[in-house]
Amino acid sequence: MAEDNLTLEEVRKMAAGIGLNHLTDEHLQQLLRATRAARARRTHLPLSSLDPADEPAHVFSLAAGEDR
Amino acid sequence: MSDLHWLTVAEAAELLRGKKLSPVEYTRALIARIERHDGRLNAFLRFTPEIALEDAKRAETEIGRGQWRGPLHGIPYGLKDIIDYAGLPTTAHSKILADNVAAIDAHVAAKLKAAGGVFMGKLSTHEFAIGGPSFDLPWPPARNPWNRDHFCGGSSSGSGAATAAGFLPAAIGTDTGGSVRNPASMCGVTGMKPTYGVVSRRGVIALAYSLDHIGPLTRTVRDNALMLDLMAGHDPLDPGSVPHAPGGYAAGLDRGVKGLKVGVIRHFYQRDMKADPEMAAGIEAAVAKLAGLGAEVREIQAAPLGDYLACNRTLLTSEAFAMHEKWMRERPQDYGALARERIMAGAFVRAADYVNATRLRRKMADAFHASLAEIDVAVTASSMDPPCRIDDPQAVEHTYGRQARAVFNITGSPALAVPVGFSKAGLPLAMQIVGKPFSEALVYRVANAYEQATRWVERHPSFEAVSA
Repeated sequence: MAEDNLTLEEVRKMAAGIGLNHLTDEHLQQLLRATRAARARRTHLPLSSLDPADEPAHVFSLAAGEDR
Repeated sequence: MSDLHWLTVAEAAELLRGKKLSPVEYTRALIARIERHDGRLNAFLRFTPEIALEDAKRAETEIGRGQWRGPLHGIPYGLKDIIDYAGLPTTAHSKILADNVAAIDAHVAAKLKAAGGVFMGKLSTHEFAIGGPSFDLPWPPARNPWNRDHFCGGSSSGSGAATAAGFLPAAIGTDTGGSVRNPASMCGVTGMKPTYGVVSRRGVIALAYSLDHIGPLTRTVRDNALMLDLMAGHDPLDPGSVPHAPGGYAAGLDRGVKGLKVGVIRHFYQRDMKADPEMAAGIEAAVAKLAGLGAEVREIQAAPLGDYLACNRTLLTSEAFAMHEKWMRERPQDYGALARERIMAGAFVRAADYVNATRLRRKMADAFHASLAEIDVAVTASSMDPPCRIDDPQAVEHTYGRQARAVFNITGSPALAVPVGFSKAGLPLAMQIVGKPFSEALVYRVANAYEQATRWVERHPSFEAVSA
């Protein structure tokens, strides 16, 4: 699917696929704009700077001595 | 005593402790001011004068018995309405949570109660701290006290407006992409996003778990430091809470900046995102003032601003949608349009992109902290533009993302928005002072030196001048 060409019908199917079944046409237009914007933003993530050893910055941690 | 509404926390505390001012008299004065003016500013979503008077009477009795609890005892404050206060609804300014009555206090609310504060009510926010300013919600948006036709920033909108308007000397906000510092900047007050984990998030409705911070808005730097001292502390029930926040934030305020090394991140507002000329001039004048006070100023480089903003929005929208997905399935019509669209931006972010954004976050935070190794604090823009009109959605949309605050939600660094003057139209200008993790005391020290040298804080909005 060409990202710039994402259509309302395509986004309607995508929404149904994750259970967003109560969106009106106006809501779907919003979802279309929001999804296009999010996809455009992805191109601004400097992913090429990542090395395989770069770890995620997760919040979760176990306390010292806690059994796993 | 006249002008009680412009007393700072520190000034009021001294008067209250010395029994030269009654908490009840003080509270009544602010109640009268709120009743008179808030109909035009909408800073309060839920005004609770009855609770305030009970708190004030209790404070008066305790202080009368010599049981002074500290600098907030008998002093009014308010909470952004995503922060739980037991017995009151926490609505997040949304129809979705209109009847969501909190059973217990948020950790920060409990701390301020224990400090003897006088609770004045819940303050307006953007819907779920993301959708605003909106006119399609059950409550109107807060407006800017310097000109009510203008945006007061957000999402801690009411916290900024109430503080600037002299309704409260201190208010609490939250900050996921800049939401304490934006209203502080737009309203000409001081707002701190502390180091991630210094203030517990427990009992605060999340926007994005890994980026959410709680912070104070006040009219002066000293008050901000006093408030953070009361708010900070370990909470074992918040998994992001740090074991030991240093505290003592107000202790070294008056030590000046002579010899301190200040790094200016100019490329954020000169190259990456060109600031409005008046805003840029205000920041440059502030940098020159710090140099004149004896700071060693040098320019430093960070990653391009757009890298941080893309990373912040990827994390923020993904985490926000995860929390809102159930409501988006069942009640999408109950959101305002702005919140619905901004939250839905996270619906189809790929898992790999989210994970990669967290990897970038660690890398960018490490690199940023390394760039601070040889300086004490950094200075940069907060908003790139003065406040726009609140009734101009295109202008709001254009200026909303033109900011350098979300950078420090990514790095987790302490970042303080302080006023640096006013535009020709009389609207506030601001900058950020940023520190290494847990160096809030040093950030406050630099900000206080600047504040004392400029006294922007002595200017207040005139309600007689605002349009009706």
